[in-house]
Amino acid sequence: MLRPTTLAMILAGGRADELNVLTYYRPKAAVPYGGFARVIDFALSNLMNSGIEQIAILSQYRSYSLINHIGTGAAWDMIGRFRGVSILPPFIDSEQQDWYRGSADAVYKNLDFVQYHNPEEILILSGDHIYQMDYRDVIAYHHEKDADLTVVCKKVEKARASRFGMAHLDEEDGDRGGKLITYQEKSENPEGEWSSLTVLCFKPRVLYQVLEENQADESFEFGRDIIPRLMRQGSRIYGYKFDGYWGYTRTVKEYWSANMDLLGDQPLVDLEQWGIRTNLDHRELRDYQPALFGSDAEVCNSLVYNGCVVEGTVRNSILFPGVHVGPGSVIENSVIFFSNKIGKNCMFDKLVSDVNTVYEDGVQIGIDHGKTDREIAVVGWNNRVPAGTRLGCGVTVSPRLDRDKWPALLEAGRVLR
Amino acid sequence: MRTSGDALVLLLAGGVGSRLNLLVEKRAKPAVTFGGIYRIIDFSLSNVMNSGLTRVGVLTQYKPLSLMSHISTGEPWDFTGRSRVVKILPPRTGSKDSDWYQGTADAVRRNVDFIEANESNEVLILSGDHIYHMDFDAMLEFHRSKQADVTVGMMVVPREQIHQFGAGITNDDGRIVEWEEKPEVPKTNLASMGIYVFSRDYLLNSLGRSRDEIDFGMHILPWAIDNDNVFAYPFYGYWRDVGTIQAYWEANMDLLRQDGSISPEKWQIRTNVESEYRTADRPAARYGSHARVQNSWISAGCKIQGTVLNSVLSPGVVVEEGACIKDSILFRDCVVERGAEVDLVISDKATRFGQNTIVGTGDHHDIVNRLHPKHLYTGITLVGESAQVPEGMKVGRNCIIKCNAREDEFTTPVLQDGESLT
Repeated sequence: MLRPTTLAMILAGGRADELNVLTYYRPKAAVPYGGFARVIDFALSNLMNSGIEQIAILSQYRSYSLINHIGTGAAWDMIGRFRGVSILPPFIDSEQQDWYRGSADAVYKNLDFVQYHNPEEILILSGDHIYQMDYRDVIAYHHEKDADLTVVCKKVEKARASRFGMAHLDEEDGDRGGKLITYQEKSENPEGEWSSLTVLCFKPRVLYQVLEENQADESFEFGRDIIPRLMRQGSRIYGYKFDGYWGYTRTVKEYWSANMDLLGDQPLVDLEQWGIRTNLDHRELRDYQPALFGSDAEVCNSLVYNGCVVEGTVRNSILFPGVHVGPGSVIENSVIFFSNKIGKNCMFDKLVSDVNTVYEDGVQIGIDHGKTDREIAVVGWNNRVPAGTRLGCGVTVSPRLDRDKWPALLEAGRVLR
Repeated sequence: MRTSGDALVLLLAGGVGSRLNLLVEKRAKPAVTFGGIYRIIDFSLSNVMNSGLTRVGVLTQYKPLSLMSHISTGEPWDFTGRSRVVKILPPRTGSKDSDWYQGTADAVRRNVDFIEANESNEVLILSGDHIYHMDFDAMLEFHRSKQADVTVGMMVVPREQIHQFGAGITNDDGRIVEWEEKPEVPKTNLASMGIYVFSRDYLLNSLGRSRDEIDFGMHILPWAIDNDNVFAYPFYGYWRDVGTIQAYWEANMDLLRQDGSISPEKWQIRTNVESEYRTADRPAARYGSHARVQNSWISAGCKIQGTVLNSVLSPGVVVEEGACIKDSILFRDCVVERGAEVDLVISDKATRFGQNTIVGTGDHHDIVNRLHPKHLYTGITLVGESAQVPEGMKVGRNCIIKCNAREDEFTTPVLQDGESLT
């Protein structure tokens, strides 16, 4: 039987404050995406499709949703004698009493787990991105170069560069990759044009040592601390150039855009082609019946999963399982999470609605005629929106509001707590 | 929390169901797809699960492979665990009789060892052929309260249909006093649903009486009614025998009615999403900018650019721009190419309708199929698994296109009403 040689570690501990109400009660990696999946499904499915079978998930913020989602790992074919997904939460013991102080600290604290598996290479991934990648190509390049670290990079425009770790690569292997000449994390004016995608392939010995050294520092992040430290030490670091789709989900706008990239006749994100799987036992996805469309239904340029009942109109939108759209309602440019129930004659435009929210009849959201470049409205989970309520574009509504908190009209851009 | 005792369940899933024609060419009737993602047997298995019963024997015979892989470990219906079980009971050759099951009672008789090995007060005998939602726990309660030896699930059906069923006449107490099996001239409209509760010892005694009593409806029940305590348990919900193409089509169309007369999700019907190639593990259905979808039932993984009206689509069906599907049932991964029209068709999995093909055309719904006049007589055209209908082909009403039909096997551009490509 073939034992896995690669250990993959997914960083899924973070919350992403800018996602606001969507991450009040779940880590960013567990945010729903694409009409049935979760963001972390991309990393997990890529691993499955790359034949990488030993996986650890570093989890910290509100981990239940993630634990529930991963289940046994069977959804990604990751149970077996040498196949498995392990969730590694923070812990206390005789030596340490802290939470994970950063992504590098999280891996450091689990080095006994890592060393037990004795991998030939360690792949560190972020669980927060929408992409398809065959990691085998990255690992092959890593070995070809005998690199200490290989960083997967994508070209970005200068204007956006300040948000990322930016590398300057030489031309050693043309379009495939090159040696890292400089690396700057979130710099206003970086030298390089290649952003790190937080897909890192380490030589284990090098990783163990640099994590040990990093413990004396004040900050414990792969991008901010580990890569620069290895650069200073003159390690062999290569950049692997990736030019596929890369979807960020750090802000509501990015998240919404990444969802809209699923639509159109030639979508940028093709979940079927990418082979994305999710855990069908989570929220009992597998028990939903096929979607039912009524005799006055209209649906175009949209994704609709099983369990939906559509009696109104759905355009340029994504409906997760169990969403009901009542007669006369019009849903446009919106992302509606699991089990929302939308009554009659509602009108939504540019809305992201978290799970289990009920909209009574005649609710209007984001309908500001004539206004261009409108912001995205977000409604938190488990709300019941009273009949006739009007919410302006770009509003933010907290989860589980009491009924007496709802105004008849909430102006554009306001926050309702 | 379970409150009832744990009756043993025997599910009869061995019948050929030959009236379903092409749909049962490669699988047993209980394994035929229904409602996009389900198999017919899911309804019986889920009813058993939802009634809190935990031990099931499934009697198979005809083309059982598809059925066996569907039932698998029984995990989808929660039949795994130390004392939970679903067991496939295939036919076995005995020391004398090496032949197949002669009838329902004969099939159960030959599995008496399974009944003896599983202690229970009652044995519930079901068929795996029906679309329905029923609480067997309530039926078992009824059986006990009547101190019955046998209880038969019965419902009122239109008089013109009674000839397909066992028919019973009851007294005021619900006791069955007279029985007719498939009567030509009915005296009642109360029909047997093929669902029986037997007190276990009574069943074992009845089966031990004579090997010539091979059928429950023909032999065991009439004798019991004459000699012992047989009661009718009245059922008022949705129940359909989908043993004919017409009944199968109608029951699928019932899914589209908004009155909720049939609702697999509300009924908590479970299926095995792993047995068939990608029943699940598909993304949300994608609707293009020219899609038009009304009054339809559409599974995840479909891609719709054209028009879908009054139809039921299994996962992965592709409807290209300008194509139109109407009043039809398409199994998984069928492809309807540009400009094709599919009207009143049941298509098995992975077929392809070439560009501008018209399948199901004209008003001659009454020209019955020449080879199978009793199977296709209402206008429905059947397309077998993996058939490839060539570009521009015209196919009439009540036609049959065989499984795996290749394009070059269509020797004329038109298949007339009632004709078959075999």
